[in-house]
Amino acid sequence: MPVQSEDYVPFAQRPEWADVVPVPQYDGVQPLAPIFYTPEYKDATDYFRGIVKTGEMSERVLVLTEEVIRMNPAHYSAWQYRYRTLLAINASLKDELEFTKGLAIAHLKTYQVWHHRRLLLAATNDPADELRFLESVLNVDVKNYHTWSYRQWVLAHFDREEMWAGEVDYVDRLLEEDLRNNSAWHHRFFITFQRAGKDTREDVVKRELVFAKQKIALAPNNMSAWNYLRGVLDYSHTPYASQEDFVRPYTGTQVPLSFDSDVIDVENPLPSEGSRLPAVPAIEFLADIYEVEGKEGVDEAIPLWKSLAEEHDTIRKKYWEYRIHEAVTAA
Amino acid sequence: MTSVNQPLPKHALDDEYPTKTSALQRETEDILQAHVAQGAPTLDRSAHLQFLIRNLVQGFPARYISQDASQPWLMYWTLQSFSVLQVAVDPVNKQRAIDTIMAWQHPDGGFAGGSGQAAHLLPTYASICSLAIVGRPGPGGGWDQIDREKLYKLFMSLKQPDGSFIVSEHGEVDVRGIYCLLVSAYLVDILTPELIEDTAAFIASCQTYEGGFASASHPYYAAQEDKNTPLQCISSPRPNLGEAHGGYTYCALAAWVLLKPFLPEEGAPSIDVKRLLRWAVNMQGSETEVGGFRGRTNKLIDGCYSWWGGGEFALLEALGVSGHREHAPLRPQHEAGPTEEWVGSDDSVFNRDAMQRFILLTAQHPAGGLRDKPPKHPDAYHTLYCLAGLSVAQHRVTQSPARRSELRSAWTPKPEIKYDMVRKTAFTEALCWSEEEGSSIIIGPASNRVNASHPLFNLTMTHSEGIMAHFYKQTLPKRFVRAPPKVA
Ligand SMILES: [Zn+2]
Repeated sequence: MPVQSEDYVPFAQRPEWADVVPVPQYDGVQPLAPIFYTPEYKDATDYFRGIVKTGEMSERVLVLTEEVIRMNPAHYSAWQYRYRTLLAINASLKDELEFTKGLAIAHLKTYQVWHHRRLLLAATNDPADELRFLESVLNVDVKNYHTWSYRQWVLAHFDREEMWAGEVDYVDRLLEEDLRNNSAWHHRFFITFQRAGKDTREDVVKRELVFAKQKIALAPNNMSAWNYLRGVLDYSHTPYASQEDFVRPYTGTQVPLSFDSDVIDVENPLPSEGSRLPAVPAIEFLADIYEVEGKEGVDEAIPLWKSLAEEHDTIRKKYWEYRIHEAVTAA
Repeated sequence: MTSVNQPLPKHALDDEYPTKTSALQRETEDILQAHVAQGAPTLDRSAHLQFLIRNLVQGFPARYISQDASQPWLMYWTLQSFSVLQVAVDPVNKQRAIDTIMAWQHPDGGFAGGSGQAAHLLPTYASICSLAIVGRPGPGGGWDQIDREKLYKLFMSLKQPDGSFIVSEHGEVDVRGIYCLLVSAYLVDILTPELIEDTAAFIASCQTYEGGFASASHPYYAAQEDKNTPLQCISSPRPNLGEAHGGYTYCALAAWVLLKPFLPEEGAPSIDVKRLLRWAVNMQGSETEVGGFRGRTNKLIDGCYSWWGGGEFALLEALGVSGHREHAPLRPQHEAGPTEEWVGSDDSVFNRDAMQRFILLTAQHPAGGLRDKPPKHPDAYHTLYCLAGLSVAQHRVTQSPARRSELRSAWTPKPEIKYDMVRKTAFTEALCWSEEEGSSIIIGPASNRVNASHPLFNLTMTHSEGIMAHFYKQTLPKRFVRAPPKVA
């Protein structure tokens, strides 16, 4: 809750608001589960209800809604009324975009700030600086859901080559900093495979597979990288069996020694030293390869699922048993 | 308990490659494990009731100003928490609750986040569900004062050409709003084919490569021939806006289950249930995190996902995902004494025991109310979703074919209503959810038992039946406990 500065003047004491009749929230109802409002909040929202009642759209409505929003940025009606007023009085939407910058950083987790910005940006049609601004916001909270989905909207909606162009480098940097940042993995999938009108070329699929495997090699128990690997394979309809040589060393109990350190197989990087093996996602992956091979494959998959259920991933015992049951029934 | 060949690690595995994410994870695990070592798995009913009564009667402190536009939610979270705890509100406060809720109804239809605010899909769900708990038919009872015609008009006005809905005028699109709209439409009997046209395709387009669902997708439209032709949404691509997320996944999956009975037999959109299930089970934290649920891959566990995450499994059962039933080995008769306890069979694919332990040992605040995780403070939202999570972990509620046919045969048709068959389907599909005898699992003392919840609505079964029977003008057939067939 923001603390009001000492020289804050309530609307009831502002002469230029004397003509507005404030409307209390509850008329003749003693509400259950009420909120204890501060006097300033009650004052501002009483005047807001007064304005909504008369339907006034004017410059001063922007002052009023700003005060309400500063005290409660989730007040969607204040945002909505503000937006309608901006349009009605032909206010500068560029100024409004500037105004929401500070609010967006201060209230990252509020839906309304981001949505308001989206309406403004769509109307002004000038997204040139937006990605850079969003980068500064993500520096504060690198997994913020609203910021990421908004960034994805900006890219998809404006669909400008120069905006897409920098995204891979940006994601590379984020995953360099923290390869467990799932928001960055999702963004990588979004920019690589979900852009309208772009068929993903075979060499891009290959590049992404190598990228995911390199990251898995650094930290084999990182589910984000495994999910991405699976995502790329599913997207490109590549059988999981194509990755058997890669996966196998991750299902052993020890980090394998590289016999010939001069030769590095980029497509099948080995687990790094310090890896905790066997890695659960690798065992699961290998079992998935076997499962599609028919009855004999299922026979090979069952001991793997059992090892997950009994030893390596006991919290999901029921799930692994379910997988065995399903596979046996289908085979 | 599971047999374990080697001691379980104290921390999730970071492969000696620490990053910001794994460091935060470690810190959290230490806090959680310290808590588990201290407490007993007992639900502190009276502390939670005091917390709830204080909020309901005295009200919420000023820091809740941030939720001034979510007043119906504060009401719903509080009332439904009472219901989960098997406590009813007294008649005087019930009436005050009804009067408060009705002050949120917007003159043009739907409910707002507070009196004098704009109509919005989320508070509409929260208000109607609150009325399901405290309302009644007749004057002053709330139910008959819901303006259903205006509500339907509002819903149609929020509909977008890609089958989605904005949450309010000039508002955003996301799957939470669609979930709230569908539940509201189901409960008060205003579902029509026009309302839900293309909505299932929108939901399906929100599934991500991980298997869970994003908040929304981005539509592209075919070029219009002229201004009078309606916008045609291109079926692909519809890129996801945001990564797979527990809250959105629950809403999308529930919406999918609500829409499924109305999908066409041919050319219907589809979702990848296998991938969804894999993602959903992976949201449950391991023993190092006491089995709580997280909302996204590599994020921290949080008590509220006990409902959003744990609640997904009942919904998955409606899509054919039913766990493997382990038949307890038969014992020689002389070994079974009269005090032998029935060992409940567990068909669930998630770890119901662990999740209960997580809630009981870490999510309860010692001063009452439940929370995200220690050392956080409790709040109204986490109190409900932790309790509702406890409910789904204790009770296995599934769609019962027997109950479905009972409801179908008891249906009184109203042929004068245009979509009577749609109404019948909505009514029977929503109310055929039943708890199977003997399938509950209660961790801790028997007093830990809470009420079963309707997996789609997050209301009790009784409240779901009450409000729907009223709006659909149906008499519910009694629920019989099925006795074994008599031997002649
Ligand atoms: Zn939470």
